[in-house]
Amino acid sequence: MDALIQIGFALALLAVTYFTGRRVERRHYASIRARERELAMLPAVTFRQIPSGWVVDGLGVVSGSVVVSVDYFKRFLAGLRTLVGGRVTSYETLLDRARREAILRCKEDARQRGYQAVVNLRLETTRVSRASNNSRATAGVEVLAFGTGLELRRDPR
Amino acid sequence: MILSTTETIPGRTIKRFFGVVTGSTVRSKHIGRDLMAGIKNIFGGELKGYTELLQESREDALARMVQEAESLGANAVVNLRFATSSITQGAAELFAYGTAVQVD
Amino acid sequence: MQYDPKLPADGINTSAEHPLREFALLVAGLIGAVLALIAIAALAVDRLVPLVPPSLEARWFGGWLTDAAAASDPRSAPVQALLDRVVSHWSDAPYPFRAGVIDEPDPNALALPGGAILVTSGLLDRVGSENELALVLGHELGHFRARDHLRGLGRGLAAQLVLGALGGSGDLVSGLSAFAGALAQHGFDRRQESQADTFGLSLVHAEYGHVAGARDLFAHLARSQRDAPATGRRLASYLDTHPLSEDRVAALAAEAAAHDWATEGPLTPWVRRPDAE
Repeated sequence: MDALIQIGFALALLAVTYFTGRRVERRHYASIRARERELAMLPAVTFRQIPSGWVVDGLGVVSGSVVVSVDYFKRFLAGLRTLVGGRVTSYETLLDRARREAILRCKEDARQRGYQAVVNLRLETTRVSRASNNSRATAGVEVLAFGTGLELRRDPR
Repeated sequence: MILSTTETIPGRTIKRFFGVVTGSTVRSKHIGRDLMAGIKNIFGGELKGYTELLQESREDALARMVQEAESLGANAVVNLRFATSSITQGAAELFAYGTAVQVD
Repeated sequence: MQYDPKLPADGINTSAEHPLREFALLVAGLIGAVLALIAIAALAVDRLVPLVPPSLEARWFGGWLTDAAAASDPRSAPVQALLDRVVSHWSDAPYPFRAGVIDEPDPNALALPGGAILVTSGLLDRVGSENELALVLGHELGHFRARDHLRGLGRGLAAQLVLGALGGSGDLVSGLSAFAGALAQHGFDRRQESQADTFGLSLVHAEYGHVAGARDLFAHLARSQRDAPATGRRLASYLDTHPLSEDRVAALAAEAAAHDWATEGPLTPWVRRPDAE
């Protein structure tokens, strides 16, 4: 009978984390969209060379990073998916959020330092593991966005 | 949609540039492939299953990136870069990112 | 070149499919696949079990109830004597059977691979006649004849193997595997029970010349089920592992009628203690 209790407990946990995870995600996306609109006037590009016509007064490295955590429901769904194969959809929103958040933080960093543009933007993703009995458990995903911030004499727009 | 890892498209000039566009996928192979890979781990050789997996992921990620670029009204993506990472055991994330531009 | 601060469309890098729908599909698909695998493994076990020769089975498991252990318990001697008499009517008996008694207030009987039959003291206290005990022993012999206990063992092992191979999504999979293992081992199916019943009945008839008392057995056990206080027990009651149903009693009566066996006759009393206390 304790097998059934185990299953019941796991199902309850799945249900709870599904709803909490969904709420966290919605709030995060709302925040992301608002800030993206706000920071749209600061270009972040992957150009390696500074575009001609831009007069640069100063430059420096800017970066932004975030670690987004995985909830139980997403992890369980991903586990099932790796048995069957195909797109792991539960992690896609995770990575999307992490990436957009990292780029936003990079732009904010640039703005705080007085830069008007970020060039040579690069993105690095890593997995953050949790130390547990199942030592390969994914605790979260870290995305780092970094580039060179440029202080421009004339507005790029 | 022109895709390039170079700074500019030779012979064309960039009229406008938008921001960074990204395309990403997380894919996994089914457990049968994992078992085969485990065996290959002992004997050596190319893990064809995983090569296929990453190839599909690359195409998928590029397609999504192109979709984002199209939604901006761009007709080219320059300075294209790829990044792969392992998000969870048995699955790989691949994302492509570049700058969406409008060339003449 | 000019900068155009437009934002790309949302939702391109995520899937529109609702996670709950995907969850339901994956779980259903996985459970289906696991059950199919277990069923195939069980079929394989069923095919392989008859190939295990009884001599091998006796060698692997036979040590579970040594003669010394049985001899040291005075209660087992009359049970062993009855068992020997009942077995004598089974011409193909594959190996010697040994009887043992366990101290358990709940009436129950177990068949262990290798030829050991254990009865609980609770069962010995409740049978109204020797005939009833003979039916119980004969029923267990019927399971031996069909190698049912080996099948149960094999199926349980197969279930554990399949689920173990799938690795861990953690608690859920281990919970499911424990549950499936328990299910697979839980007992013999109806067909196995009924054939054990008929074999047991035929042995009883061979021993006594009639099958009187067979129906009384179930009545006595049902009464004990009602009277017994409900406390936690390691061994489930006889009726838990051998579910009683009207069909079983009716089937026995039909079997007796088919062979034209007398259902009335003198019942041999069961001597509970060889040294009357």
